[in-house]
Amino acid sequence: MACGLWLTYYSVEHLQTIYITATNIFIRFGVILIFVFTILIIIRYLLLMFFSILQTIRRSADENFSIYKQDRVSIIVPCYNEEDVIIHSLKSIISQTYPNLEILVIDDGSKDRTYDLAKKFEFDDGQKRLRVISKRNAGKSQALNYGIAHAEGNLICCVDADSKLDKYAIELLVQHFQDPKIAAVAGSVNVVNTNSSLTKLQALEYIQGLNMVKNGQALLKLVNIIPGPLGMFRKDAIMEVGCYAHDTFAEDCDLTLSLIAKGYKIDFEPDAIAYTEAPENLLDLLKQRYRWTRGILQAIRKNRKYLWKFSKRPSLSFVMWYMLFESVFWPFMQVWGDIFMIYLAIASGASQLLLFWWIMFTVLDVAGAIYCLLLTKESLSLAPYSIIYRLFFITVINIAKIFATIEEWFGIDMNWGKLERKGRIE
Amino acid sequence: MNVLSFLSFLILAITLLTMVFGVIAYFLYKAREKKKKGAKMTYEKALKSEGRDLLYFTKE
Repeated sequence: MACGLWLTYYSVEHLQTIYITATNIFIRFGVILIFVFTILIIIRYLLLMFFSILQTIRRSADENFSIYKQDRVSIIVPCYNEEDVIIHSLKSIISQTYPNLEILVIDDGSKDRTYDLAKKFEFDDGQKRLRVISKRNAGKSQALNYGIAHAEGNLICCVDADSKLDKYAIELLVQHFQDPKIAAVAGSVNVVNTNSSLTKLQALEYIQGLNMVKNGQALLKLVNIIPGPLGMFRKDAIMEVGCYAHDTFAEDCDLTLSLIAKGYKIDFEPDAIAYTEAPENLLDLLKQRYRWTRGILQAIRKNRKYLWKFSKRPSLSFVMWYMLFESVFWPFMQVWGDIFMIYLAIASGASQLLLFWWIMFTVLDVAGAIYCLLLTKESLSLAPYSIIYRLFFITVINIAKIFATIEEWFGIDMNWGKLERKGRIE
Repeated sequence: MNVLSFLSFLILAITLLTMVFGVIAYFLYKAREKKKKGAKMTYEKALKSEGRDLLYFTKE
């Protein structure tokens, strides 16, 4: 961290020299932008890490942990053509330690054997029950809403059919609902197929995103997205906001924003784990990130009236600005910063600035990665991937995000684009 | 050439190449999606393109 701060000081000093000596207005403006951007990124890193540490201390200090098992939980598993993964997913759900469970598998008009495979698991032992319902294909949000409408439980847990749950996941999520203001709890998502550099980079990204970002947000009880692989909701709250909307490609993000708008709190449970498959080739990864970016932007646009309502809905405004920063400003600034640095290097020979700028961010990334890996007791062998992350991965992803933002701005058509699963969950 | 200059050049070259690669990868993704979309021929689409009734078989 000290190294990062020293590099920041050096980079800022270098920028100051360029600003003073430059006569070109474009260079001066660029230097100011880079300076503001760098400061914002460093503040973001330090704040998130500080919040995350505080949250971890608070969790470990909370000794009044009583097991709460009264609420009936309805687990909804929407599926469409999931024959490769549905068996392992259902086995993990059935083996949950939480006793009071209803499992609803909603087959969204699959064209493969998903329905037949799931149907074999149907059972009812009085406490736990599994039912498979088939309906015409209408999309994930419709399938989730159909499941919610048929659910008996007062807590709704939405699980992706390509995810496998840790056996304590539901029990751990339920505990948060002892606080009546909590409307939803996000689970933790781990990548299961770390068999290539690309999936290892995503595994590292997930670990950092969960343990630094989500854990930090959990301190304020303002987690901005309940992940598709695992999230639990209070049924009353979800009904109050009208369930999942059908007009965005990030129905989970839209629902979370609607709950925050109603004044509810959203928490995160790091030990409730869902294992999921990450895309194994670059084009599938770009497809996923493209959809996420456009979906988030659609959700923000839908709730845009709250962006400036700091006095009425401060928490929602804060969350939405944070999401805009992460999904739009940061990618634009990072790519623009790289282009500007290349221009500076070619035009004025200040190529060392790019090197120090890159090292500064890499040091921050490595520090963050080591902190998160130690926190989760994961292998430290993933930490060196932070260098590749900063060098290649994030730039390629950010370019896709920028194009997605531009296409969303111009309203270019998009479709859901289901990712092909390899069936790595076992 | 000292170490710093060499590393600066290396990062500069990698950054430039990664950006070009990122743009190419994005357009490859878009081309793949377009190809996939075009490959999905429905009876209605075929009927429209042919302009006459079509005989088709379904697999039992």
